[in-house]
Amino acid sequence: MKKQWLSIALGVVTAIGGFLDAGTVATAGEAGAKFGLGLIWAILAATLAVMLLVEMVGRFTAVSKKTYADAIREDFGFRFYLLPLTSELIAESLLLAAEIGGVAIALSLFTGIPWHTLFPFVALFIWILAWRAPFDLIENGPALLGLVTLSFLAGIVALGGIPAHLLPTLWHPNFQRGSVADYLYLVAAIIGSTISPYLLYFYSSGAREERWSRRSLVLNRVTAIVGMGFGSIGSMALLVLGAIVLQPLQISSNTLGELGLAMAKPFGITGSFLFASALFATCLGAALEVLLAVSYNIAQGFGWAWGENKKPVEAARFNLVMTIFLLIAAAIGLIGIDPLQLALFASTVIALFLPISLSPFLILMNDPQYLGNKTNGRFTNIAVICILLLAFLVALVSLPLEIITGGG
Amino acid sequence: MWRKSGTWLGLMLLLSVLTGCNVTESAFARTASNAGSAFAAAATTLTYAHEDKITYAYAASSFVNFQSELSGTDQALTAQSAVDTRTLHHLLTLYKPAIQVINAPCLSGACNWRSQIEVLNRASQALLKAGNS
Amino acid sequence: MIDPNDEIFSVRDILDSQLQTRDRRKIGRVADIEAETRADGSLKLTYLVVGPQALAGRVHPRLRAFLRFFLRDRFEHRIPLSEVTKFGPTLYLRGKAENYAVGQSERWIAEHILRWIPGNGL
Repeated sequence: MKKQWLSIALGVVTAIGGFLDAGTVATAGEAGAKFGLGLIWAILAATLAVMLLVEMVGRFTAVSKKTYADAIREDFGFRFYLLPLTSELIAESLLLAAEIGGVAIALSLFTGIPWHTLFPFVALFIWILAWRAPFDLIENGPALLGLVTLSFLAGIVALGGIPAHLLPTLWHPNFQRGSVADYLYLVAAIIGSTISPYLLYFYSSGAREERWSRRSLVLNRVTAIVGMGFGSIGSMALLVLGAIVLQPLQISSNTLGELGLAMAKPFGITGSFLFASALFATCLGAALEVLLAVSYNIAQGFGWAWGENKKPVEAARFNLVMTIFLLIAAAIGLIGIDPLQLALFASTVIALFLPISLSPFLILMNDPQYLGNKTNGRFTNIAVICILLLAFLVALVSLPLEIITGGG
Repeated sequence: MWRKSGTWLGLMLLLSVLTGCNVTESAFARTASNAGSAFAAAATTLTYAHEDKITYAYAASSFVNFQSELSGTDQALTAQSAVDTRTLHHLLTLYKPAIQVINAPCLSGACNWRSQIEVLNRASQALLKAGNS
Repeated sequence: MIDPNDEIFSVRDILDSQLQTRDRRKIGRVADIEAETRADGSLKLTYLVVGPQALAGRVHPRLRAFLRFFLRDRFEHRIPLSEVTKFGPTLYLRGKAENYAVGQSERWIAEHILRWIPGNGL
């Protein structure tokens, strides 16, 4: 019994520390800097959706003993499987490049060495971890380090809390610092960066790596709801910091270093390093998850041996695919696009593809053949459909606008 | 097909009326406000570096990012120009010394960092004003 | 003759199922099925087919012929249906992984590509 509580505690803690990544950091910072508190609702809506989705995928794998990718291929056939696979490959290669870039930027803020120089070393380090590290270390290590994001709350308190004049922006955003198109682009990016499908592929594979069963359902539910819920606090705290510190200074938070200034104001050098540490830990964790999620997806879809607890030669195709995908993402990253901008773009693309990535999932979650008596309730179904539709429509509208007017 | 585009356009117009402003901004306005914002960030970064709020290493990395963010801005402003020649000329005159600061920020006690901050702020204010008009 | 205790599986159930060997190794998924027509006109499923050409054929029949031109059946493998001991979303096979040609690429990649990378566990 005690062991179960320990697992739950660890699950919650790693969910909190692992919530942020390059995408959520980038969106939260720009959202606060440009629109004050006007995008908090988007973070809340996206968090609700991801809580539901993560709980669902954990429940699915615990009961059916199949991962998400297994189930797509088996239930919908190979031809259909190619659709979410293709959308994942496109979106996640961009996102992985941004995550590696995020780690590189964090290190550059500590050392002064340009991120572009550090980038290949970071990519190599991530590869070594994915190649040899056991699953537990990958899942828990960076996420525990990521708890440093809670220091953002301390930053808000040290700055005197949320000033009263900002509160009206919760429901009436200020459109002087950014256009409506920018606003919609950020809504899509917030949803896409929070609900990223890679989370589902990773989480369901992790549930198999850890041999979850019906006994794990409570652990799953608590991790998903409490963990994700509290994790979004870090994201909202970053948005508030952007609103309090950066907006009055006319800073739009277009680069990651600018966002750290918001922590430097209350806490000086320590604050700037707390931010850089948070960036390092969360982007590292996310990079590993994205990389593995794609590798899991391909290996499971094609029926190969897979797993982080196996030696590389015991899952040869899985590890080869992992290596190749990392090289592709590294090549994209070395082109030199600023990681924050790349993260924003990748997140919006993800939002656009969400219906393709997630509709098979909704169907599976209502299939008693896999889930017995544990299928979805009506509220869950409706909530998720609404949020998916919102993400898709917003992305559909904002992406062309942003491209036409020259990018965000 | 036409119906869908019509609905989309209608929605956009409705949105712009409701929010009382332009739905999108012109390319010039976007370039100008991004640049203004980058110079503002650079000024704050430089200030913090000399107030011991961030290390010189942190500032140096940030300036590398500002360099890539701002590269080619003067060409973009000229090409996209939506203002009269005098205003554009004024903007570019302020831009030149500011971009020099971005490429060579004063990150030690040995140079005149205070005047650099002024240069950055002047460019920032002018560009932000041009971006918002 | 169909015994009332037999479970009847349709082709759709078997397609895309995971193939797992006796030593609990995953070697691939069913890409296609071969069948022969019996004397009474009914179909008897004979072989499970695994391979890139068969997979391509699932996307579009022309792709299968196109790939055959390049790959010349070198990566296509068949497993007799009699090798399956248990049906379901996972098909359990009678033999061990090395008994089947399917999944040989796993070994080839381990021995020819991964061996050059340190820490491979060989």
